[in-house]
Amino acid sequence: MNVENTKAQMRKGILEYCILSVISGNSCYASDIINRLKEARVIVVEGTLYPLLTRQKNAGLLSYRWEESQQGPPRKYYELTDQGREYLADLDKSWDELVESIKLIRKK
Amino acid sequence: MKITVSINIGGIAFYIDEDAYSELKRYLRSLEFHFAKEESSAEIMADIETRIAELLKARIGDYKQVVTISDVHEVISILGTPEDISDEQNGGGYERMASTSYHRIYRDPDERIIGGVCSGMAAYWRIDPWIVRVIFIVLSLPGGLGILIYVILWIVLPEARTTAQKIEMKGDPVNIHNIKDSVKEEFENVKKNMKI
Repeated sequence: MNVENTKAQMRKGILEYCILSVISGNSCYASDIINRLKEARVIVVEGTLYPLLTRQKNAGLLSYRWEESQQGPPRKYYELTDQGREYLADLDKSWDELVESIKLIRKK
Repeated sequence: MKITVSINIGGIAFYIDEDAYSELKRYLRSLEFHFAKEESSAEIMADIETRIAELLKARIGDYKQVVTISDVHEVISILGTPEDISDEQNGGGYERMASTSYHRIYRDPDERIIGGVCSGMAAYWRIDPWIVRVIFIVLSLPGGLGILIYVILWIVLPEARTTAQKIEMKGDPVNIHNIKDSVKEEFENVKKNMKI
């Protein structure tokens, strides 16, 4: 058993939740999402983000529009769909429940 | 003086050193291969290329007009190799399989002289096969006991045929990384032999 693997499993579990949460705060570009996730140390390499973003978009949780940029080609600007907002609310609740469970368990 | 190549990535044009171009091409191919099983793999690759272009653009300016190999290495470390990504995607799952690896004695068909018995046992203990062969020879001198033991082992021990078995023979964990490395190693050996 390897504690690093267990920790990585924990982080992997919350990554999708974190992505939705970041976008719900403020519609944004992929680079903004990456910066927030890195700040929070939930992601180590950026490559992990892109398949998740695409999967969430394909599942109808996210939508994007193309924004023109002076520095170059247009960029994707992400926001949550209504379905995404419901999904996030569900995950928020689930997270709170988990925190409560852990609190109970840690009480000696 | 170096040769540069013009590329277009994520819709932005760059001058890039020849060696940096090869490295970047190799990296993109490895990512493509990694994401091939995802639906929308083309979209994922397009998003990644856009991000690579962003990162490279930030490293180029008036005084530095060409993308170099160190830029490409930096980009790879930021975005992650396919191994880094799959470790994060799977939460380090591959490493967990290692705790159930077997370590058993096989006959080694690649390193054998007669039946692969000595080389197989040597692989299990990670020693040089000749040490085991000398022991057998010494055991054979008095009355041929070594030969008898050898023949019995030849019959009893299985041959390591699959890549996974060859890895088990050496006692390494059997996971995708090791299998891939083994296959690569064998490929390189075949290539070397063919060149000579």
